[in-house]
Amino acid sequence: MKEKINQILENAKEEIPACQDLDKLEDLRIKFTGKKSKLHSLLSKIGELPAERRPEIGKALNITKNKINKLLSDKKEELEKISQRKSAQESKIDITMTGRQISLGAKHPLYQIWEEIEDIFIRLGFEIAEGPDIETEYYNFDALNTPEDHPARNLQDTFYLKNGNLLRTQTSPVQIRVMENHSPPIRIISPGRCYRNDKVDASHSPVFHQVEALVVDEDITFPDLKGTLDSFVKRLFGPKIRSRFRPHFFPFTEPSAEMDILCVNCNGKGCKLCKNSGWLEMGGAGMVDPAVFKNVGYDPEKYTGFAFGLGIDRITMLKYGISDMRLLFQNDLRILKQFS
Amino acid sequence: MKFSYKWLQEFLPIEISANDFCNRLTMFGLEVEEITDMGAALDNIVVGKIEKINEHPNADKLSVCMVDVGEDSSLQIICGAPNIEENQKVPVAEIGAKLGENEITSVKLRGVKSYGMICSEKELNLSEDHSGIMVLNESLNVGTQLAKALELDDYIIEVEVTPNRPDLLGILGIARESAAMLEKDYSNPATIITEVATPASELISVNIKNSELCSRYTARVIKDVKVKPSPLWLQKKLRSVGMRPINNIVDVTNYILMEQGHPIHAFDLDKVEDNKIIVRQAEKGEKITLLDEETYKLNPNNLVIADSKKPMALAGIMGGTNSSINQKTTDIVLECACFNALNIRNTSRELKVESDSSYRFERIMDPNRLKEIINRTAYLIQQTAGGKITKGVVDNYPEKIKPKKITLRPERANDLLKTDIKTEIMRHYLENLELEVISKDNVLEVTIPTFRPDITREIDLIEEISRSYGYNNIDSSYDIERIENSHKRIMQRKMRNFLVNQGFYEVCNLSFSSQQELDRLQISEDHKLRNAADLKNPLGDHFSIMRTTLIPDLLQNIAHNLSQNFQNFKLFELNKVYFQFNNNTEEAIHLTGSLVGNYFESYWKEEQDKVDFFDVKGIVECLLNNIFELQENFIDFSHTAQPYYANNLGAEIKFKNKFIGSLGKINRDVLIEYDIEEPVWLFDLDFSSIFALLPKEKFNYEPISKFPSLIRDAALVAPKAVPVAEIVDIITSVKPDLIKNVELFDVYEGEQIDEQHRSLAFRIEFQSKEKTLTDKYVDKIFDKIIDELDDKKKITLRR
Repeated sequence: MKEKINQILENAKEEIPACQDLDKLEDLRIKFTGKKSKLHSLLSKIGELPAERRPEIGKALNITKNKINKLLSDKKEELEKISQRKSAQESKIDITMTGRQISLGAKHPLYQIWEEIEDIFIRLGFEIAEGPDIETEYYNFDALNTPEDHPARNLQDTFYLKNGNLLRTQTSPVQIRVMENHSPPIRIISPGRCYRNDKVDASHSPVFHQVEALVVDEDITFPDLKGTLDSFVKRLFGPKIRSRFRPHFFPFTEPSAEMDILCVNCNGKGCKLCKNSGWLEMGGAGMVDPAVFKNVGYDPEKYTGFAFGLGIDRITMLKYGISDMRLLFQNDLRILKQFS
Repeated sequence: MKFSYKWLQEFLPIEISANDFCNRLTMFGLEVEEITDMGAALDNIVVGKIEKINEHPNADKLSVCMVDVGEDSSLQIICGAPNIEENQKVPVAEIGAKLGENEITSVKLRGVKSYGMICSEKELNLSEDHSGIMVLNESLNVGTQLAKALELDDYIIEVEVTPNRPDLLGILGIARESAAMLEKDYSNPATIITEVATPASELISVNIKNSELCSRYTARVIKDVKVKPSPLWLQKKLRSVGMRPINNIVDVTNYILMEQGHPIHAFDLDKVEDNKIIVRQAEKGEKITLLDEETYKLNPNNLVIADSKKPMALAGIMGGTNSSINQKTTDIVLECACFNALNIRNTSRELKVESDSSYRFERIMDPNRLKEIINRTAYLIQQTAGGKITKGVVDNYPEKIKPKKITLRPERANDLLKTDIKTEIMRHYLENLELEVISKDNVLEVTIPTFRPDITREIDLIEEISRSYGYNNIDSSYDIERIENSHKRIMQRKMRNFLVNQGFYEVCNLSFSSQQELDRLQISEDHKLRNAADLKNPLGDHFSIMRTTLIPDLLQNIAHNLSQNFQNFKLFELNKVYFQFNNNTEEAIHLTGSLVGNYFESYWKEEQDKVDFFDVKGIVECLLNNIFELQENFIDFSHTAQPYYANNLGAEIKFKNKFIGSLGKINRDVLIEYDIEEPVWLFDLDFSSIFALLPKEKFNYEPISKFPSLIRDAALVAPKAVPVAEIVDIITSVKPDLIKNVELFDVYEGEQIDEQHRSLAFRIEFQSKEKTLTDKYVDKIFDKIIDELDDKKKITLRR
């Protein structure tokens, strides 16, 4: 009997450590300790033994059973570790592949600059006013002190509608609309779309975008105009950018000026962009003409003010180094994607 | 600073309501932070008289009282208090009164009706006493409101006194300010000093070592006082402003602090060594135990009030225990002084000791009122503690501070304020504030009393004039509201940002188009989009009108980019469209977007999902619900008649029955016109219309329910013709206040279900704001939902 027991243990010691597979290990478990195992059948026969041998054999059987169980559990643990390692090996990923991203789109570069300009002026204490694209002659010209014989009123420069209205050639009509409805002090900007019946080329488009500014109060002076514009360009292009003002003429400002900034490309040394002048033209400005105040019912003795208009398309092109205005309206993803 | 409205009225009768008064005070520059109606809690509680007490027929401990509550009415009230007696005057809470959370109603107690409640002090929140009912003074009139009878009909007003106005740290100062505001006269409280012959200077001497740190020190000596609890009126006053009564001497000094705004200190004369008061800097390492029972180690930066041997008080901050008043005190020295504000502040910070006194001395107090104040204090001490006021005020005032003179140019004030205030009126305003004014060659010479250290320049006077004139009355010509378009612009930016985050690229097209372009979109001749403004001098036939839709340009942009080998992309344009009706032109901002190819631009995983209807709808829903915050239940999607969408794959969107846009798949024929072979999905929103419809209501958060929610899933078999939206409506309508959410989470059509039906699985969330819902109760509602669905639409649970 004892020998049989020893034999079982010997077999187990041989077979179990050699096993390489969790399924096979389960077979071995059944073989050695299951209901139909030799060990089990010996255990069930213990009653047939003489009473004095029972404790000895019973004890031996139990010890053997425990030893086999230990062998099984050790092996099982070992095999499980191996299998885990294996599965980790198998699920190893190629971490060089691109991640699954929610790719962002982009605002149109023109509107990126538009928003930037708005933000700068909002920080300077300006509000935003709006006006229609389709205007009357009165707001676009008459109220802005632009007489009928002014070249700007030439049919060739202005888009007219068949009903007699026109597409605004500048954002300045918003000045009039604001002043008609509000008393000073006024401090607004008005960004928007403008139209000119220009030939289309690298620097001209029939549709373009301007931002207009208007400040009216008592004691508004020319230095205020210069300071405001200078502060704006420094915020937009950086603190090193200088600006200069040149005498000019606009029917609705007196005195009038054009503002240049130091060329952002060559810092004033002269290059192709600034046509070797070192300066880039930014826009028109001036002190509001008393005649304009009269048109909106302001007392020109009491109030003074300034206005200016800047080209958003032009600023966008300068900021991003875009040399052909037509690119802005092509809506080609090869360009748009660069702005995300 | 807190003050009592009643107390204030002792100096200045006010005829307007406490609320009006507070509003005006705030607009006058003294901001009222809180106003507490002390009597409000005692509404409907009156003085009653117990006329008769009978035993309760069914309860040993209860009595049935008949209580006279005035106006010839008696109430039968059941009361269980041990101390009730006939003819007692008691507080009676009538029906409708609120005691804390409980409203008094008529109740039946053991078979007998009770029409009110006789209250204990605790029930009235007047004290913690709950041993029996509160017995009132016999002199009170039956039927009087209790608040009035007990003089609790007061308001406690808390104002924010700015650091530049030390004069407002007492009720009298507030009375002066209020009087100027109301254009009324206020009265100073009475002071009658009866002195005995002994000169105070024989009993005390004052020596100021450094007049920089103490500009003036006044003292008075009162002999033979009797220290005891204060009279009731004084205790009540102090309690009304949140101060605890201690004894008559301390209480009077606190009373003066509140009334005059100036701290007073009282020393026990017996404890003042050599009868000498020396105001000096502390020696290094010198120690003092203050009334807060903490011991402080001092240094020469700290100013002390000392006698010949020891420091007795930390000047201006707190007294020491070694010289304080107690029950045995008979002779007292009163101190009324002015100290250097910065020094007091530094010492208070350094030693971390603060008091009502230091709070005031950290500001510049007026040295010229000290005599007046110390006399008032002495008078009140005599009134409450008896004693003999010795002759004279011991006064050490090394350098008298004189009122400043400032010149005001009325023209300058008017220029700055853009007002037209007459000089006479300005003078009146300033005189109201107790400034002395002399007119002189078009200017006003103004003498500033020393209690107004904040007025030092002309501009300070202009400020006084402007607030007297009323900031509300000064023009406001900068009309921001009407010009500003910020909300509109913020919405546009939000849309842009949202779409960019969803992977859209913005395009920008010119405003010109042509009628031929509309033909390509299959727009009929009478369609709204045909109402375009024609150009008189166009750049060409293809640019002959102002565009009425952004769609054609977008389709051209798609065609262009497809030809550049882009396959999966999303574009949008946010821009104006233009209409002409008869002779009038209109402009509107539209948001039009397109999706082509796969929803995700690129990634390598598995097979890509092509964009479908619900991708587009999801984006539109996000815009409408989250960006515009339109209420979801007012948004409708229905099949559209727009000709450019494919059959059954276009929807128009309405909000509150107004058309706000459309979405769908562009039909084949249109795409052929643009040489596009890929499917194009599109949405087109009329931003201007949406903006006009945006909800104006203020957003208020909804509190989270304290009670858990329960979830029930319902797999339903529904006829295909019944839209999901309708089913959700039916489900919700069964119990709208409890059904928090209904979510579709599975759709199935196929083998196990006949062709006319589909299976829809909904997750229904139930939650109450008031209680925990039981499974049983929710099951009942759930059954009702199923019945309702069956009744209305022949929808059944899937077996």
